[in-house]
Amino acid sequence: MSKNRKTKNDIILAVIVIAVAATGLLLLNIFRTEGTFAVVKVDGKETERYPLSVNTEVVIKTQNDGKNTLVIEDGKAFIKDASCPDKICEGHSKISFKGETIVCLPHKVVIEIVADNSENELDVVV
Amino acid sequence: MKKKIFSVLLVLLLLASQFSLFSSCDSVNEKQKFSEYYFDYFDTVTTITGYTETEEEFKSICEEIKTELSEYHKLYNIYFRFQGVKNICVINELVDGKHNVVKVDKKIIDLLLYSKEMYSLTDGKINVAMGSVLSVWHKYREIGLSDPSNAELPPVNVLEEAKKHTDFSKVEIDEENNTVFLSDPQMTLDVGAIAKGYAVERIAEYLINKGITDFLLNVGGNVRTIGMGKDNEPWKVGIENPDTSKQEEVPHIEYLKFSNMSLVTSGCYQRFYEVDGKNYHHIIDPVTLYPGEKYLSVSVLTNDSGLGDALSTSLFLMNIEEGKKLADSLENVEVMWVKKNGEQIYTDGFKNYTFEYKK
Repeated sequence: MSKNRKTKNDIILAVIVIAVAATGLLLLNIFRTEGTFAVVKVDGKETERYPLSVNTEVVIKTQNDGKNTLVIEDGKAFIKDASCPDKICEGHSKISFKGETIVCLPHKVVIEIVADNSENELDVVV
Repeated sequence: MKKKIFSVLLVLLLLASQFSLFSSCDSVNEKQKFSEYYFDYFDTVTTITGYTETEEEFKSICEEIKTELSEYHKLYNIYFRFQGVKNICVINELVDGKHNVVKVDKKIIDLLLYSKEMYSLTDGKINVAMGSVLSVWHKYREIGLSDPSNAELPPVNVLEEAKKHTDFSKVEIDEENNTVFLSDPQMTLDVGAIAKGYAVERIAEYLINKGITDFLLNVGGNVRTIGMGKDNEPWKVGIENPDTSKQEEVPHIEYLKFSNMSLVTSGCYQRFYEVDGKNYHHIIDPVTLYPGEKYLSVSVLTNDSGLGDALSTSLFLMNIEEGKKLADSLENVEVMWVKKNGEQIYTDGFKNYTFEYKK
């Protein structure tokens, strides 16, 4: 084996190592940013989950013909409109942190931010 | 040739280590996180979060918590009667223009004795005998919320008249016979400032006695942690910005890490109604008979959720000096006041529990 060959192999090895590391990091980052969802729970049961990475507007139908319009915009979720009497959910600020929730007590609706990657998750925000 | 094998092995090893990084989240932890919501207790939402090995285990503990919550909700209710339950609503009832001597569950006696303790600790700021005044506000708030264009403030003379019937010494508690009697016919009990936190603490105690751990109870912002959270580390709790106009830029004003403790926040941004463009919230000062106006919110970190509930309400009505003096006189009580201009004031030890949070 000549000296030249050796160097060449070393370079190939280095390139492969760097490539593997880079792909790994890239994948890790994709998983981190895309795995966050707004989970909709009606009366304690999960009915839908929407990724925060996709702008969405949906009407959540609840008991007694109640309606809450959930909007996801620029990675944040909020209730745009609700037919409940107190409108506390409508007044709640936009949520995007893992562990944050918006609650509509009259309609028994909870919007909760959850992520595949639970690192840094807040257990509760009050 | 040997080198080639070595390099191939090295690459494989690297690959393997990266894959293990992905799966580590699931495999390292034996305990999984579960949560459950209830909507039927204490006029608020209850969240139970727990780390258990199986979902069945979590669900069965939740059922126990639910049974307890339901019982306290019925006993401490001031608005509704329940079949076969002698609750606070029954104590408040008038029969032929007088209150009855009512034999009640020991849990009500204990709550009232604790209320008495809190009455003297907070120099009367916590007074469960203030039902007459609070019911006036309640009535005006309900009208104001259902018909905002006709929202009005209670007339001062009506409040002053109601105040004459708030003398706590007229609450006659007989510990031996488990009876309660309100000797002033126009007096009623309102345990709203204390019952929720007290009930949460009793339920926490129940869980601890059964050896249950790694649970977080959140009854409408009254948070009590038992044991540890994720990865056997303290629980992580965010505090919302009480200045709703600034929540867009600053959603949370503080992040806390704690275990086996309780966090209770009293604020003027939760239950309120509007009259002529001004908000009137539900924490009524027993002296002025009007909502306290000193702060946006007061958060109290303590070992006991009942104490936390009583303190957060009473500190909301005291100035900082008085409040600090009271907090310092008690063990393991840390407080954060948020003033109207957004300024945050702390007791000395509060910052021991805060941490920098990155999303």
